[in-house]
Amino acid sequence: MTTATAHPVAVRRTRRRSPGLGRVLLRRLAHAAVVVAGVVCLTFVIARQLPGDEAVTAAGARATPEQLAAARERLGLDDPLPLQLWHYVSGLARGDLGTSLHTRQPVVSDLGRALPASLELVGSAMVLAVLIGLPLGVIAARFARRRTDLAVRTGSMLLVSVPVFWLALAVQLLLSTKLGWFPVAGEYDRVLDSTSPLTVYTNITAFDALITGNWPILLSTLHHLVLPALVVAAYPTGVVAQMTRAALIEESQQDHVRMERALGFRPLEILLRFSLRPAISPVLTLLALIFAYTLVNSVLVEAIFNWPGIGTYTADAIRSVDTPAIAGVTLVIALVYVTANLAVDLTQIAIDPRTRKS
Amino acid sequence: MKRMWTLLAGVLATTLALTACAGTTRAPSSAGSTFTYAFHLNVVTEWDPAVSYSNESIAMANLYESLTRYDAAAKKVEPLLATSWTKSADGRRWTFTLRDDVTFHTGRKLDSTAVKESIERTKKLAGGAAYIWDPVSSIETPDPTTVVFDLAYPVALDLVASSGYGAYVYDTQAAGTGDLAAWFKKAKDAGTGPYTVDTWTAGAETELRLKAYDDYWGGWTDQQYRAVEFRVTPEVTTAWQLLQRDDVSFVDRLTPQIFEQATTTKGVGTSETSSFQNLLALYNTASGPMADIRVRRAIQMLTDTKAIISALHGAAAPADGLIPPGLIGEGDASVKPDATVAKKLLADAGYDAGHPLRLSLTYAQGDKDQGLYVTLLGSALKAAGVQLDARPMQWDAQWTRGKSADPSQRQDIFVMYWYPDYADPLSWFANLFKSAKDPYFNLAYLEDASVDASVASLPKETAIAPAQAARSYLDLQRRIVVDDAAVTPLYLIKYQRAYSADFTGYVDNPAYPNVVFVHDLRTK
Repeated sequence: MTTATAHPVAVRRTRRRSPGLGRVLLRRLAHAAVVVAGVVCLTFVIARQLPGDEAVTAAGARATPEQLAAARERLGLDDPLPLQLWHYVSGLARGDLGTSLHTRQPVVSDLGRALPASLELVGSAMVLAVLIGLPLGVIAARFARRRTDLAVRTGSMLLVSVPVFWLALAVQLLLSTKLGWFPVAGEYDRVLDSTSPLTVYTNITAFDALITGNWPILLSTLHHLVLPALVVAAYPTGVVAQMTRAALIEESQQDHVRMERALGFRPLEILLRFSLRPAISPVLTLLALIFAYTLVNSVLVEAIFNWPGIGTYTADAIRSVDTPAIAGVTLVIALVYVTANLAVDLTQIAIDPRTRKS
Repeated sequence: MKRMWTLLAGVLATTLALTACAGTTRAPSSAGSTFTYAFHLNVVTEWDPAVSYSNESIAMANLYESLTRYDAAAKKVEPLLATSWTKSADGRRWTFTLRDDVTFHTGRKLDSTAVKESIERTKKLAGGAAYIWDPVSSIETPDPTTVVFDLAYPVALDLVASSGYGAYVYDTQAAGTGDLAAWFKKAKDAGTGPYTVDTWTAGAETELRLKAYDDYWGGWTDQQYRAVEFRVTPEVTTAWQLLQRDDVSFVDRLTPQIFEQATTTKGVGTSETSSFQNLLALYNTASGPMADIRVRRAIQMLTDTKAIISALHGAAAPADGLIPPGLIGEGDASVKPDATVAKKLLADAGYDAGHPLRLSLTYAQGDKDQGLYVTLLGSALKAAGVQLDARPMQWDAQWTRGKSADPSQRQDIFVMYWYPDYADPLSWFANLFKSAKDPYFNLAYLEDASVDASVASLPKETAIAPAQAARSYLDLQRRIVVDDAAVTPLYLIKYQRAYSADFTGYVDNPAYPNVVFVHDLRTK
């Protein structure tokens, strides 16, 4: 509307000022790199400034003075802080996040095992959140301010506010222990390792089982995945339902809806055919951020369901004051957040090119 | 769009239905011949038996064996790879006779040379608990089944050889001409134990699987488990549910409430055992207000250990002295609580309402049991007009503060657990109460010449006159706890286990914390 009434010269100037997608992408990447670098430096410095001695964690709580001294030397803890930071950053540049003091394995390989398991869990939860939350939001919007709407809003509020560990324990007790419908914990039935050994490509078990046609493990993994995925999905489902409802109700007040009503379209048809597409944009944007948040939020769920993901790894790292592991996890989480934000930015640019200017 | 939603809903419903119909495939724990251990932490952090000193002991004890094993119930050292042993009159020469029917998992036959090589390698690497072999000056192998240890100073080497850390005998030639340390890192074992490594997946829920070693010298019967699995199960409630569903055979720790439930659950066996791990409140005898023995005695008398144990609802057992039951020298060396006398002692020391006493205390962050003690102590001290400044800290930070070169930076009360690496009470005294210029674990900063003299003479006494050593240990405990008022032993951790009633023969041996000797079990 604005473009149509503006002076042609002003329009051309505006278009010239609008940067190309490549430049926008570069600028966003530069921002992301600054954020990640900041996180790396901050994490490192905080870890080093905490009271205590990393050598104790490395050498063991009952280490002899000689063992402690050897650990200090091996970890370079006697070096000046800037030199330690340089060693850490140059290690990062080589893809070396150091060695976990707890598992004694390279942090990269630890994360290489844990992150895919978390992505599998959180990814499944996000699919469930969309499959359940979106229709609920549509239904609530369709019957806005009626009993159905109230029920959906109350339900989604409960999903958002219920403590995740409580929900995990409750569904585990009810659906596993009492009713026996699902396994109590674990990723898949390990007895299948001997009868149907899995060839691992990505460490995402369900995906590996799918691409190798290992149906027993695929079925077992899905069976084990249901409860933790449902629990992790609770929060995003509630958010998606509420956001979808709000966006659809807002969209229903637009001029085009009045016209569609006048043309005789049924309310549900208007919602699904004309309102959902424009309304879903902010919901999708939010999903990327919820994904990153849910990844962090799944720590307790992973512990309760013995899911060998990054949450379990982080809990162990924190408990054992495993500084390299904590720094590695922090970096990965930061990367996930930055990537999610970047994806959101690019999606918004794709949907609405005007956002390039910002 | 409508069709898409229908399709998606269909996929979701089908997936849920399919997976729900799939039913739980029963884990092979009690159903088959696999023993499944639900452990609350990661299992293996170190594969090399020479330097292993952590959680993996629960697996190592089934892979490796030592010359002897300590029986805590009988307070006796039992034969294992050694059938018998003798010692010289001065306790400095120990001769072990080996079994002659033992082979390593590598196929090599166990002989005296293999024992000598493995212990010498462990000493040389000097990692983990290798210090236990410090007294050994040389090892001789007069014949294939005889190993002779010459010691620089007398110690009870049969006890040393029974250690759960650093005492394993392994095949040092397992890697051939290659690097043995690198070979171990590939999750390989070179022990003589009943089981050998099958699979290890770091970070996985079922982290470790062991399989039977067919040529094990102890033999096999149909009633024994042929495989062992370790499932990492951080949450107690999850472990308990897995046990109820027979998905695991053994759970190493429970909350007191769940343990109570387990004792009345059909098909579940339970076991409660006092550990060798006690919680100690070490008092700063060198600086600050507690350098005054009247203050230390007052704090001892304001500490009601019975109330603490009662509040822990079965998770703790009484500690009457520094040495736990099951070790030589145990006996009553406790101080009875008495608030009236405590207040008088504080008044005598010059503390009253006008001049209140303030004490600093450090304890382990995240340890709820220690937190409970601190709360109860804080209340008792407040009633006596003493203000307690308690700080929960990570161990490394707490220890660093305790070791501070500046006495003014140190705490007045240091709360910590202690346990011996092998079944010898000397560990408490040599580490915690022997005087030292720079503090290390002696965080009561005690300097008592008579204590030092006893600590110096007790290893020899234990080696050559155990009965006399037991009396000396009791005297030493009384000297430190009662006369010096350097410490209050608060309680012993109590192991509360639950396991499938499908097997018998489980014995919780506190000398080997959390270890299940799976070969000793018999399925019903």
